[in-house]
Amino acid sequence: MTFQAEIDVPLLDVRDLRTEFGTDSGTVTAVDGVSFTVHAGERVAIVGESGSGKSAMAMSILRLLAYPGRVAGGTVLLNGRDLCALSERQLNAVRGREVGTVFQDPMSSLDPVMRISKQMIPPIMRSVGLGREKARAEAIHWLDKVGIPDAERRLEAFPFEMSGGMRQRVMIAMALSCRPKLLIADEPTTALDVTIQAQIVDVMKTLISETGTAMMFITHDLGLVARFADKVAVMYAGRIVEFGTVHDIFHKPSHPYTQSLLSTIPSTTALRHQRLPQIPGMPPDMKNPPKGCAFRDRCAAAIQTCAQDAPRLTPRGAGHVAACWQPDGLAGVPRPECSGQVRRNTNRPLRDRTMVEINRLTKQFTGSGTRLFSRKPAQVVKAVNGVTLRVQQGETLGIVGESGCGKSTVARLLLGLEEPTSGEIFIDGLAQMVFQDPSSSFNPKMRIHAIIEEPLIVKRWGDRQARAERVRSLIDQVGLEVAHLDRYPNQLSGGQRQRVAVARALALDPSVVVADEPTSALDVSVRAQVINLLADLKEDLGIAFIFISHDLLTVRYIADRIAVMYLGEVVEYGPADEVFDRPAHPYTKALIDAVPLPDPVTEAARAPIQLKGELPSPLDIPKGCAFASRCPIVTDRCRIEKPVLRQPMKTREAACHYAK
Amino acid sequence: MTQNTINTPASPGMAAPATAWLLRMGKGRFLGNRKARLALVILVPILLLTAFAPLLPLQAPLETNLRAMMQPPSLAHPFGTDRMGRDILARTLSGVQISLFVGLSVALLALVSGMILGTLAGFLGGIVDRTVMSIVDIFLAFPSLLLAIGLVAVMGTGVVPVILAIALADVPRFIRLQRSLVLSLRSRAFIDAARTVKARKSWLMSRHILPNTVAPMLVAASIAAANAILVEASLSFLGLGIMPPVPSLGNIIRDGQTYLEQAWWISTLPGVVILAIAISFHFLSDGVREALDPRSRQ
Repeated sequence: MTFQAEIDVPLLDVRDLRTEFGTDSGTVTAVDGVSFTVHAGERVAIVGESGSGKSAMAMSILRLLAYPGRVAGGTVLLNGRDLCALSERQLNAVRGREVGTVFQDPMSSLDPVMRISKQMIPPIMRSVGLGREKARAEAIHWLDKVGIPDAERRLEAFPFEMSGGMRQRVMIAMALSCRPKLLIADEPTTALDVTIQAQIVDVMKTLISETGTAMMFITHDLGLVARFADKVAVMYAGRIVEFGTVHDIFHKPSHPYTQSLLSTIPSTTALRHQRLPQIPGMPPDMKNPPKGCAFRDRCAAAIQTCAQDAPRLTPRGAGHVAACWQPDGLAGVPRPECSGQVRRNTNRPLRDRTMVEINRLTKQFTGSGTRLFSRKPAQVVKAVNGVTLRVQQGETLGIVGESGCGKSTVARLLLGLEEPTSGEIFIDGLAQMVFQDPSSSFNPKMRIHAIIEEPLIVKRWGDRQARAERVRSLIDQVGLEVAHLDRYPNQLSGGQRQRVAVARALALDPSVVVADEPTSALDVSVRAQVINLLADLKEDLGIAFIFISHDLLTVRYIADRIAVMYLGEVVEYGPADEVFDRPAHPYTKALIDAVPLPDPVTEAARAPIQLKGELPSPLDIPKGCAFASRCPIVTDRCRIEKPVLRQPMKTREAACHYAK
Repeated sequence: MTQNTINTPASPGMAAPATAWLLRMGKGRFLGNRKARLALVILVPILLLTAFAPLLPLQAPLETNLRAMMQPPSLAHPFGTDRMGRDILARTLSGVQISLFVGLSVALLALVSGMILGTLAGFLGGIVDRTVMSIVDIFLAFPSLLLAIGLVAVMGTGVVPVILAIALADVPRFIRLQRSLVLSLRSRAFIDAARTVKARKSWLMSRHILPNTVAPMLVAASIAAANAILVEASLSFLGLGIMPPVPSLGNIIRDGQTYLEQAWWISTLPGVVILAIAISFHFLSDGVREALDPRSRQ
């Protein structure tokens, strides 16, 4: 042991950690020999797709794994003490006190029947050793710090009285109030809207550096990593494939997986007429882990050795390691064909034919007021308030906005799934839809061929043989094989299911396809495949697309025009590039500023204009401008006079008194 | 003569296809389940014995033998004899036949009518829902055994009235369960997906709703079958179900009750058989549930 090592004892030292899940069909090694260190005050991000073992790894550190999982080997040293050797009772003293946790779902990580005070004060008393009164003051102090307005009153609230963002703030306050040395956050902002996410990340970053707490941050969002982390561990198939500082990872990525991941994200500057580089295939099945390097099958730089021996982590510079036989990963080999390839028919002239016309559309949902015992009038939720939109043939309209802005309701109205309260919808031809969650949009009891065939049967399209023919050509069109037709939806991966959803939507030759968050349930490496598929179909078939998403980078990449929605209204509408590069409405600007970009230098240079507060309730829409309560440039006029959508610029409309 | 009419609806004939179907649906997972195996280990011998009862070297269930009254269990009479010298095993097997027939008929009746009415109520909503559910609520306000007793009192005794009475008492529960399943399915995205191509309501119900409710409803049905067997025994025990001399597990136990001190076997052994059948039906339902729903397995 050298002198250097003695003064530089890491806070957390994980060595060769292995976690297994015993299932009926064999043991799954979710974490396969992971080693890394976290030093005091450091922010380490663990990045990986679902199934990469990132969450299992984090849970293993505190032995919080759910039933069939168990830590099968390795050591976890916290300040030199091995947590794996502790009894459950001893470990309980560490949980919360020395290591705090924040989980993904703020809706289920607080006890719904206990007031916040009951969930917060006893842990503070126990771990900091304060009396009840002092602990209470401490709790209020921390709630205040994480940005909960009126903290003293909120301490006595129940979790259901708070929004998701508020609850996640409470979780962070709870974790930090016990003054842990390490905070483990598992996808803490994934369930939240982008503007709320920006607020939460900001709060965490400030508080962590104030208290000197170290942090392990698990995420799949590379943009957040760039915004937040000092060091990054990239996980794939249960192993760390690359570890280094955030600058190393983003500017000198050395593992082919990291390199491909970074290239699949649509950037703000990328040419829209180029295909997104995509990673072929999908992550390996962890029940039968491949021999050799797990990324081999998807890697353009794979060589003979990769098939036999799994590479170990080897140095690529100071503090930068990667597990690849190729010293520079993909850099040494020619780029695969598809990346950067120019799309076909880039300048297809848009025919001047309006496929979708929506005029002053409104939709109100009336709560079922059983007025047997109360005289309260039934509550009215104004989901859509006078939306007017047009989509031309061959054009893609992107609708963006946070949850509750009414974008999905517009889609449902277009498809006839809801009846509009007022307004008109004209569709030239047939509209079809690709749903968000490919796991619930298929009947689990139907095979894939029956799912694709269903629209044809319902519309009495052709005879049995013609339909079978049609189904085969559709499945081919979306890049799947005929062999997939006999499977059930749960036998396909998320990306494959979304391709099936597209095939089904195309079955009846629609003139308009509405895609509601078609990529948000997919992993990063598969997302690019689906985006490319949609972009290709749009070019090839010349149908009109309506692409609804909260993922602004994807919308900017795929859409020709963008409508930004806020509380049921369109607040800005115009060509995609212009809206992104020079937003006219303050909400559009705030939304774009909140999107984390996958580049640590850009992120560090950004001056975040913090959007204050949260979305007002659609039950009670403000009288003036709907955005007034959160707007950075709000004036008295905004609170009284409602701005209408006007055309401050030649090509663009915005609903703001001060848009120039 | 009576004996023959009761023997015709041979219960194994009903059970076999149902069991085979369950096995296919579970794709072998069912047999891999410990509880399901245990249930079959108990049920299969009982079913075989019941099916082949006439071939066994036993006295006919109704045949009396006044020279061998109240005999304790022996090789000739494995379950002993009763006060009229009738063979208890033969009577028990005959009773099991009726029990199983009652149990399965009730389950089938309740399942089919519950699924139809529950689907209509849950999917169509509005006036249909309100009407069906008001009636269901009224039925549910009575304890089901009491309801069955009342119905038998109206309809009279015998196998068919007993089946109808128990089924009628069970149907409201099935309607409720089916309706709640339908309500949760109705808002699923795949229903919306079918609605975007303007699929008709009948199509949605038959293609999307019903297939997804079969599994949980089958579980409920197997519990209902076990319950119906117990209710039939209770009714017969009370003298309201199957009337002597036709043997039923309930009335055999009732017969022996008076002689419990002198001849414990008359009531006890048929009682053990009821217990075994009821438990194995419950295990069977657990097995079905776990085989059809992989999430519940650990």
